[in-house]
Order: sequence, then C-alpha cells, then structure tokens
Amino acid sequence: MPLYNEEESVRPLYAAIVQALGALGCDFEIVFVDDGSVDRTVAIADELARFDSRLKIVKFRRNYGQTPAMAAGIEHARGEILVTMDGDLQNDPADIGALLEKISEGYDIVVGWRYKRQDKLISRKIPSRIANWLIGKVTGVPIRDNGCSLKAFRADLIKQIPLYSEMHRFIPAMASIAGPRVAQIKVRHHARRYGQSKYGLSRIYKVLLDLMVIKTVATFASRPLRWFALLSLPLFVLSLAAFTHTLIALFGSTTEISLPIAGTGIIFLASACVLLCSGALAELAYSRGDVRDRDFLRLTQTVRGPQRGQ
Amino acid sequence: MTVQYLPQRLSIIVPVGSRRADLKALYAEYKAGVVQMGLPHEFVFVLDGQRPDAARALDDLLREGEEITVVHLTRPFGEAAALMAGFERSSGDAILTLPAYHQIDANDLRKLVGALESADVALGYRFPRAGNALERARRAAFHGMVKFVTGARYRDLGCGARALRRQVFEELDLYGDQHRFIPVLATRLGFRVTEVAVRQSPQDRQPRIYRPREYVHHMLDLVSIFFLVRFTKKPLRFFGMIGAITFSVGALLITYLGIERIAFDEQLADRPALLLAALLIVLGMQIFALGLLGELIIFTHARSLKDYRVEEVVQYPQAQDVDSDLSADGPQEEGQTSSRNSAMPHTAPPAVA
Repeated sequence: MPLYNEEESVRPLYAAIVQALGALGCDFEIVFVDDGSVDRTVAIADELARFDSRLKIVKFRRNYGQTPAMAAGIEHARGEILVTMDGDLQNDPADIGALLEKISEGYDIVVGWRYKRQDKLISRKIPSRIANWLIGKVTGVPIRDNGCSLKAFRADLIKQIPLYSEMHRFIPAMASIAGPRVAQIKVRHHARRYGQSKYGLSRIYKVLLDLMVIKTVATFASRPLRWFALLSLPLFVLSLAAFTHTLIALFGSTTEISLPIAGTGIIFLASACVLLCSGALAELAYSRGDVRDRDFLRLTQTVRGPQRGQ
Repeated sequence: MTVQYLPQRLSIIVPVGSRRADLKALYAEYKAGVVQMGLPHEFVFVLDGQRPDAARALDDLLREGEEITVVHLTRPFGEAAALMAGFERSSGDAILTLPAYHQIDANDLRKLVGALESADVALGYRFPRAGNALERARRAAFHGMVKFVTGARYRDLGCGARALRRQVFEELDLYGDQHRFIPVLATRLGFRVTEVAVRQSPQDRQPRIYRPREYVHHMLDLVSIFFLVRFTKKPLRFFGMIGAITFSVGALLITYLGIERIAFDEQLADRPALLLAALLIVLGMQIFALGLLGELIIFTHARSLKDYRVEEVVQYPQAQDVDSDLSADGPQEEGQTSSRNSAMPHTAPPAVA
C-alpha cells in the first residue's frame, strides 16, 4: 500500500492489518511503499519492520505519485493474492477477509465499494459518482466505486497489467483488457482521522483525459493494424471520390480539372497510406511488447473438465 | 577548509573532444587539485574520436609513470557517450567529470566533491564569471529556456566540472550531447542535485566565439530534452490534444464550406479553402495517430520501462519467534514463505538491524 506523509497513520494501520489478518489465520506479508515521504513515515515504518519480518518497505527516492507506488508494491509483493489499500486509514482492514472470500469463489478482481462514504458531499462524492458512471460506461466494467483503493487481485493477473502515469484509479478498467471476472462488495469507510487529503477537484479533468487514453489504448492495443486501417478507410473512400470526380472532369468535356478537388484527393490518399504505415509500426511495437493477449487468455480462462484450471 | 564527505575512491573522467587544452599542463593542474583532498583516485581520459596530439600527450604521461587510464574511441560519439565510456573503466564510488580545457580553478575541486555529502550530484558553476553583455545575454537566454522546459533553474549547465555519486552514473543512460543535461536527467531519476560555486580559470575568461552550428545543436538538444522530460510518459495527451485541435479546425472549415455549397450554391471545386480544410483534417488525424503510437509503445512496454526508481527495499530477517509462520495453512502459501526473505532483486542491500 502506498504511503505518503502519513506518519500518524502508520502504526494504527499496521496494527489493524495484523489484527485483521491474524484473525483470518492465513500467511501474509505487508508491503509499505513509501512514496518519498518527507516526514517520519519511514522511520516509524522502519521501527515496525524491525520487529516483524512480514513487513516490507519499498522506498522511493522522491515522490512519484500513487500509480508508481502501486506498481512498485505489486512488483515487490510475493503473495498469491494481493490486496491494495490506502495508507490513510479510510479503509478498514477488517474487510480484507470478505475480499479474500470472494477471490476464493473464483473471481480475479474484487473491488471494494465504499458503501457509506465518509467524505465531503460536494467536492468528493458527486464528482466521483459522475466519474464512476462514465468509467463504467466507457470501459464496460460497471464498478460503482473505482476510487476505492481497497481491492484484491490475483497476483499473476495484476502483475501482467501495465500501470503507469495515473492509472491507479483505473486498475479494474485496465485489467478489463484481460477479461477478468470482477466482483464488488460493500466495504466500510472511515472518515479521515489524520493528515491531509491529497486530492481535490482538479483531478476530474485528468481523470477524463486518462479515461479517454485508456479507452483508446485498450481498444487499439490488441489489433493496432486493424484499427489504424479502419481509421484510414474513410480517407481512402474520400480520395477515391475525389479522383472519380477528376476523371469525369478529364474525360467528360467539361471546362477544366478542379485543382482543389484533385489536391484534396491526393492529400487524403497520402494520409491514408501514412496511417496504414503507423498501424504497421504499432503492430510492431505490440508484437515486441510484453502485454499480450495470449498471457491474459491463459490467466483468466476457466477450463472445465476432469480437473479444474486453477 | 576540509572535505567533510570522503568517498572511498575518486574517479576523475576527462572526455577529450575537439575543444581541448594542452593535456599535460591540464593534468598537472587537476592532479594538484585532487591531491589536496588526500583521497585514493584515478584518472580516466577518454579520447572522443581520433585526437593524435592529445593521444601523444597522454602517451607521454603514461611513459612518465603517471597512473592514468586512456580510452580511445574510434569515432566521435559525443561527450556524453565519452563520459559513459570513461565511467565503465572507473571504479571509484564518487565520479568527478572535468572538461579537457581550463575552465575552472582546480583548487575548488574539493568543494565539489565535498558537496556530495548532502547531494548525489554536485554541479560546478563558475562564479564570479567573466563575459561581456552579449555573452551574459546568451547564457541567460539558454538557461531561461532550460527553466521553461524543465521547470528548474540552473546557473551554468555549460560547466564541465561535476561530481556525482557512482549510483547516479549507473542509472543515467546518456547518449549524444546530453552531458549538459545531466542535472535535469538526474533530477528526473530522483537524485538530489546541488550547485557549487567554483572560481573560473583565468584561461576561460577570454570570450569564446561560437559558430552558428553550435547554437543549432544546443537548440536541438534542448528540444530533445523537452520531449524526453515532458512527453515520454503521456504522449497521447500531448499529441492527442494538438491533433484534436487541428482536426476540429479542419472539420469546422469543411462544414462551413459544405453549408455554403448546399445553401448558397457556392461551387466547392474552385475554392482553395477546401484544400486547407482537407490538409488540417488529415494532419490532425496523423498527429493523433503518432500520439497513439507513442502511447501504445509505452503501454505495451510499461512493465519493462519502469518510470519509478526504488531507493531501497527494507525487510528485516526473520525473528526467532514469529508465530504465524508455523501455521502453514495450505500448499499455496509455501512459495510465499520461502521466497519472502531471500530474493531481493535490488541493488541496495537490505539494512540489517
């Protein structure tokens, strides 16, 4: 879980997690990612780690933001099931048990839904309502609360999902390219006890942009050439129309060839070719990359037969 | 004045490019400055391309029994590449890069190295600095542009004297002429950068004449850094925005033309504005496609192109009385337990209590 300047929260958080997981009786590790805190967060976490080898602290050299923190935590975690949560005590570790239960039912991702949210109505709740509705519509993953950090993932799946920029809010949406089985459950949500909230209204614009980027990339990613070809198709048609017009003018005994129309045809044709080439380039990038449909297919498939796939 | 931070060993890298002074005199000067620190040290000279006179001077030094390493590059790869080549041959835990010409007072080298105590990169800036009004305006313009691009103000990026911790060099991936932007790139990687005033060498005071080509090169370097810093993470945001604007201007124009054609029977065929609209639309699409391409590359390589740097991973070895590990719940937990304390794939060693 990412921590950034949460010196008061570290201890209670740690205690709550240990208590909650201890009650479940399973083996666990805790990964704190320190996102370049400037206060005593690290020192306190360090003290805790001294007494508990299950606690691992990943330190960043400077503040990178929540997504890289998430990504680093995921990278360094060794468990089979990963649970992410906020470092500010707004999530209740006691809910982890319910998340794990859902995972064991066969879901790949279980998302918490802050059922009774303890935040300001105007500045936090309403924008988030709208954003969630949009995200659900656009990505086709109808989750009521993307902003809730309390989520559980199967590790092999989440480790395959690219996380960069500010994608932590869209992890389920990102993951949707892998076609996982997503469930959501209600979780408790507490008002902030310590520290300052680090977000405001200004992020809405960023969220929308990110959303569009994710949608486009996720659409294009698996078959880039096809999509680029689709993009260039209208251009081909238009250039064809313009050329036909010119040819008719040429052979028909009308006055003269219209330069603007012939020129437009040439421009459209050239551009369509360049777009196709871009598509080929994208295909190359995809085939050399490490996000492949093949892996996702293997991770999320269910095999029915004499023995189960998991 | 004493040096507070003492590295175990200091490596001095001198990239020798087209601008160079008499290396023998220079070496003597630098050596005097370095010896003051009383540290074990090594000199690495990197000849960037064929530099016969410099090679001869260094050969002489070698013959005189000086302990220097000389690396010959077959063609000029650029100063930054030369620095990297020198770094590969060095073994010190602090690296001092020095210009191959008299630029700063060698007596101030220890100030630079001393500054590493509280920073990962210490840049020299020449102060007080000679130069007429024109020179000063040129420098101010350059650094102003750097500030615009990177958001940080540096005083003297042209100064070749820098002290860096070894780790910085290990993580930097320099090429071409990026040496001027080492502080920018290091800041991006999360290293602490500080600037240290050094006295200017008397030989550096004469005004230097830059050829126009050099200005062009500086500008191009700046542009490439600009893209590297600002847009490598979110190409679609940037290109998509430009593309969308271009596209919508073109679309508006074509709608206008279309309305005129239908409503007012204005012939499309003899309007050059049609060409403009078509060009704008097409341009918009292509810029967008470029951004998409960039985003796709990042998207598909996000896991190998990590955009964060981990300073260290702390995990204390298992204490004797950890109770919950004894209750192994099932087979799936075994891998977890065993790998937990062993595999630590990062360079920094785990702290031990």
